[in-house]
Amino acid sequence: MVQLEEQEKRPKFFINDQLDILIEILKRLDGPSLGVAACVCRLWCTLIQNDDSLWEHLCFRHVSVPLPPSVRPVVVALGGYKRLYMGCVRPVLSRLADSERVRKRVWTRHEVELSLSLFCIDSYERLGGSGRLNGDASASSLMFLCKPVNV
Amino acid sequence: MKRNHKATLEFGGGGSGYGVGGSGNSSSVVVKGECSTMSSAKAKMWGEEHEAGGMDELLGALGYKVRSSDMADVAQKLEELEMVMGTAQEDGISHLACDTVHYDPTDLYGWVQRMLTELNNSPNDPTEFFGNHQIPNIDFENQSPVFNDDSEYDLRAIPGMAAYPQIEPDSESSQKRVRSSSVGSDSIPVLPPSPSASNVSESTRPVVLDDSQEAGVRLVHTLMACAEAVQQNNLKLADALVKHVGVLATSQAGAMRKVATYFAQALARRIYRIYPDEALDSSFSDMLHMHFYESSPYLKFAHFTANQAILEAFATANRVHVIDFGLKQGMQWPALIQALALRSGGPPKFRLTGIGPPQPDNTDALQQVGWKLAQLAETIGVQFEFRGYVCNSLADLDPTHLETRPGEAVAVNSVLELHRTLARPGAVEKVLSTIKAIKPQIVTIVEQEANHNGLVFLDRFSEALHYYSSLFDSLEGSAAGLTPPSQDLIMSELYLGRQICNVVACEESERVERHETLAQWRTRMVSAGFDPVRLGSNAFKQASMLLALFAGGEGYRVEESNGCLMLGWHTRPLIATSAWKIPATES
Repeated sequence: MVQLEEQEKRPKFFINDQLDILIEILKRLDGPSLGVAACVCRLWCTLIQNDDSLWEHLCFRHVSVPLPPSVRPVVVALGGYKRLYMGCVRPVLSRLADSERVRKRVWTRHEVELSLSLFCIDSYERLGGSGRLNGDASASSLMFLCKPVNV
Repeated sequence: MKRNHKATLEFGGGGSGYGVGGSGNSSSVVVKGECSTMSSAKAKMWGEEHEAGGMDELLGALGYKVRSSDMADVAQKLEELEMVMGTAQEDGISHLACDTVHYDPTDLYGWVQRMLTELNNSPNDPTEFFGNHQIPNIDFENQSPVFNDDSEYDLRAIPGMAAYPQIEPDSESSQKRVRSSSVGSDSIPVLPPSPSASNVSESTRPVVLDDSQEAGVRLVHTLMACAEAVQQNNLKLADALVKHVGVLATSQAGAMRKVATYFAQALARRIYRIYPDEALDSSFSDMLHMHFYESSPYLKFAHFTANQAILEAFATANRVHVIDFGLKQGMQWPALIQALALRSGGPPKFRLTGIGPPQPDNTDALQQVGWKLAQLAETIGVQFEFRGYVCNSLADLDPTHLETRPGEAVAVNSVLELHRTLARPGAVEKVLSTIKAIKPQIVTIVEQEANHNGLVFLDRFSEALHYYSSLFDSLEGSAAGLTPPSQDLIMSELYLGRQICNVVACEESERVERHETLAQWRTRMVSAGFDPVRLGSNAFKQASMLLALFAGGEGYRVEESNGCLMLGWHTRPLIATSAWKIPATES
């Protein structure tokens, strides 16, 4: 009976109360897992959608050279790390991984620069009126990344 | 000799049998001209019992108006040729004596003429854009697949002498091809590669072409014959041939069909003198340009490599000024602005002067693009200034108009624009001297890697055919597996089709697509006083990585050539980036 009381007195650990720990854990997930995690509950969903540092970590965790601090404001201004990941980093990673058959490769400076450039072009097009016939303002210059790979 | 006659006998027998059988069909199965040649040679051997009034009766029954004497002539020339070839000992043609040689029956007269003139003169290469004169090899015994071709012909349109001798033999220079069995993609019958690719050992392998390849080869022949007819102002023949191209093109699929259609349309325009309306809405052409930008890596490659060169030139500048000779939608500049923003030491003050053509509806397209770029620059924290400059031609530019300020580093950027100035004499020199007058740190030039500005129409035509075939092939390769074809693909092809039309159908100052090769531009820039700047390995790596991202892009190749970068499809470079600066002593 004493043991039961002690158990009841001991505070239960509830992960949703410890957001910083939760974020630390989520930072270590890869893209698809993060998407799955977002489906767990509303809190997690809100967190994953709004906390850009998660995505920042996801984008550049494998970068061999640390990025200069000026990168963050630029990325944030252009639409944030989540958009960078979904629009550029994920397709670039998967496309390059396909061609080189290496998972979790280390990113060099060139890949980072390329992704950022593509991201910037994409943001520019989203500013609207890119001259397309049907006035389609969706990210079209990145469509080549999304096209199915010729099997 | 013996062999020839024996083959003739077999063949002639088979041929005339086929012909007789064929004439009974309602769908007129056409017996090829060479068949008639063979049977006439046979006729000659067995005695000219068929000669009546010059026209061969046997063939007359089939609807051909051919003189037996002409065919006898051909046969005699064949015999002469065989004799000469059998004893040829000179360098370069001694292989004729020892290696097995088979005949291409689709065009004997013209081919024989050529061979004779060649052997009689010195065996040097007469202006051939097809390198070697390899005799195409088709094993006689395996002829039957070729003759299953059921396509209908207007006989006069057959690019060959055998059926209609009035056609000049020279039109069949295109018959000389190495029909190697390793024709690359089925969509494009490869025009003969560089001479090093064809060698004697390959030519002795007997090759049988299947129908679609045969039709593709014939399509190319017909196009070339039509172009030659146009060059010689033989418009009646050209007209017949152009219609024939249309028929043949339907038998092809994919890129070859589209290329052939565009070239046929352009030839038709040239024949009928219906010149395309140049005053087309430039927003339409901008839109096509955008689709081309999206569907293929060429423009992206151009932008990335040029930006890299500009970035490296601006490494330490505090105020930079870029002059873009063709602003269009300004797609090149976001990436540069972003790269400047992330530069170590902080971004410089960035000034852009965009040059563009006047708009028919008087909207200020340049200003709209400038505004968009300004928005982007403000978002990422780069001080930005824009000025639009409208002019009809780059030669109208004056250094004072560009308002360069002291203390700023200037870059001049021209992507696929400079070749237009070659349409008017003296214009390109004026542009280059204007550039020199504003003393830029770097001049980046991107141009198509092809010579479409030769003096001879036929040369331009064949160069363009080769170039645009590769280009269309690459577009097809990237879009493979997508049905229905994406809007991007269709629009890109239209964009290229308009270029084709300009190269083929226009002349004088209207022909603005005067592409020249990197080597030619190099000569021009060096003689104008510019020094080359080597594009570094960064540009190369970025370009290679960019290409790796393109689906279906395994055919793209980045090459480095003397410090310049070229992007090509398989072995054919298609676009080249080069960078230049003014020598230090002058500035």
